[in-house]
Amino acid sequence: MSFLVWRQYRAQAVIGLALLAAFTALLLVTGISMASQWHSALATCAAAGTCGNLSNTLFLGSHGVGFFVIMTLGVPVVLGVLCGAPLLAHEFETKTSEFAWTQGVTRRRWLAVKAGWLLLAAAALGGIVSALVTWWSGPDNALQGDAFGPGRFDIMGIVPVAYTLFAMALGITLGVLIRRTIPAIGLTLAVYLAVRLLIDQVVRPHYMTAVTHVYGLTANWVPSGAVWQLGAGVVNPSGQLLPMQDGTVIGPNVSTSTIPPVCSSGMAQAENHTGAVLSCMQKLGYRQFVTYQPANRYWEFQGIETVVFVALAAALLGLTYLAVTRRDA
Amino acid sequence: MSFLVWRQYRLAAAVAALVLAVFAAVLLVTGLSMAAQWHSLLTGCTANGTCGDLAATVSLGGSVAGHDLVILSLAAPAVFGMLVGAPLLAYEFEAGTNGFAWAQSVTRTRWLLVKVGWALLAAAVWGGVIAALVTWWSGPRNALLQNWFQVNTFDTQGLVPVGYAVFATALGITAGALLRRTLPAVAIVLGGFIGLRLWISQDVRSHYMSPVTTTFSAAGNFNTPPGSLAVGSGMTGPNGQVLAQNYAGRVFNGVPFSSLPSACQSLASQASRGAQGAADRCLAAAGYHNYVTYQPASRYWAFQGIETGIYLAVALALLAVTYVVVTRRDA
Repeated sequence: MSFLVWRQYRAQAVIGLALLAAFTALLLVTGISMASQWHSALATCAAAGTCGNLSNTLFLGSHGVGFFVIMTLGVPVVLGVLCGAPLLAHEFETKTSEFAWTQGVTRRRWLAVKAGWLLLAAAALGGIVSALVTWWSGPDNALQGDAFGPGRFDIMGIVPVAYTLFAMALGITLGVLIRRTIPAIGLTLAVYLAVRLLIDQVVRPHYMTAVTHVYGLTANWVPSGAVWQLGAGVVNPSGQLLPMQDGTVIGPNVSTSTIPPVCSSGMAQAENHTGAVLSCMQKLGYRQFVTYQPANRYWEFQGIETVVFVALAAALLGLTYLAVTRRDA
Repeated sequence: MSFLVWRQYRLAAAVAALVLAVFAAVLLVTGLSMAAQWHSLLTGCTANGTCGDLAATVSLGGSVAGHDLVILSLAAPAVFGMLVGAPLLAYEFEAGTNGFAWAQSVTRTRWLLVKVGWALLAAAVWGGVIAALVTWWSGPRNALLQNWFQVNTFDTQGLVPVGYAVFATALGITAGALLRRTLPAVAIVLGGFIGLRLWISQDVRSHYMSPVTTTFSAAGNFNTPPGSLAVGSGMTGPNGQVLAQNYAGRVFNGVPFSSLPSACQSLASQASRGAQGAADRCLAAAGYHNYVTYQPASRYWAFQGIETGIYLAVALALLAVTYVVVTRRDA
């Protein structure tokens, strides 16, 4: 069976390896020059004592390569669509599954070997791409401090491997259930995007209870390290969040319509009196806050997200096993 | 033939209509609330006379769901090309159903014209409906941020999504006719669409018309008009020659120190803001100028038209290849 899988997929393997080699060469060449640029910039700014505003003055990398790096977001779903969805659907469509099953190969072995090798290959590809992107982005992550944010979190570390396994399992399962390649491709695309967006925007912020720091209206406080900021705002003396309604705002996004009259009296134009208004509100008990996930939780979040997607993949593969072994040919 | 195409694609048409309906519903609901917010903002700032700095003080995010869909609409043309364009002929060749159709007194030319014609029309409608919704939804944001020319804004609004959708579908049809296999054709649509789109939006688009150049004193300041597409900027020497830019080594405004007059070099090497101003004045006195090149906002529709024309022309060339391949090749 393993040899059959190799015969079926050798062209895809060659194309995949060629693309991977080109991507590796691109990232190695630009990554090494970016790292040396970063080290010389660090040495220069340390000597001049200007490392504080380095992120405003230094641009690392190139837009072109940066585009390729961001596009690795799509690697898992492309694998799921082009390898996962047709894996069994195309066999059912052309009835080659029946031919295989009559050659002394049990359905279970056929499924295990085909799905096993392709999942392994996809996970390896996802892992290599993610390792390259993680290494390449090292200097830029240190410069921008945003590795925890959506978009960057999703293309580095171990989560891309889990996304790849999930996308492959999703494609395989939908292919088995629908038994037609093109509809399976379309549905894989839609379900993958929906699940990723849902977890990204709704579920992930709540993996662990976020930290909230409350501080004075006139103070300036920034959480240290590459944190993931979830929210910020101003609370009134009784602890209620001031509405972030639009309109003219002063200071830390305080809408002029929410300023208590005692602080706004005699104020002609808010922006001329920002300091006075803010310290007046500070005396009344108004405070601002930042809600965030601290930087040291990065790997815990990577681990939790990986477990979530691997568990989803395992459940889908269980469904595939039932559908293939129980269903009539 | 048209009835056959309808029979083959009625399920796909129903699914596409459903997807469009959900898309429209989300954008209508979130777009109406954003438009209401925008109008109340405008009324408020007109009363206070603070409309000038509106962009700095307010944000019009729209809802997360609406924003996600607008970004995802970037991929809508490629999805149509992959799911409808690539299998259109390839799947018939794979299953051998083209041979059956050709044996029913339908000529290859008619078979091809009717199938391809309806598919391209559907692609144009798909791209056009999505673009119309996104353009309407983004109206307040565009007016606030003046970002019509921005990458991803230009690409999801106006006419160009129709060109993209027709191109992606034609690419899928041609790849399918040449390879006669569905999956490789799907992969080619994905790679070809992303490749051409990236290349044109990054390297070609800003050169559709020769940009406007504004030159000003090295000590002066000039902001490009709102809504324009920045093409480049730099410095010219005392004779008006453009100084080559280099981002390695010691540079001032992107120009290597060796290109600057020696009198100004020591000022330029000092990092403080005061010395930066002094270096600017020194260069201005020596006859150096800054320049910016840009495409003004008034060219937006010209650029939309040119870009749409490019994609339609590429699609036409691809379809000509398909016609030759299908009519000349053995069945």
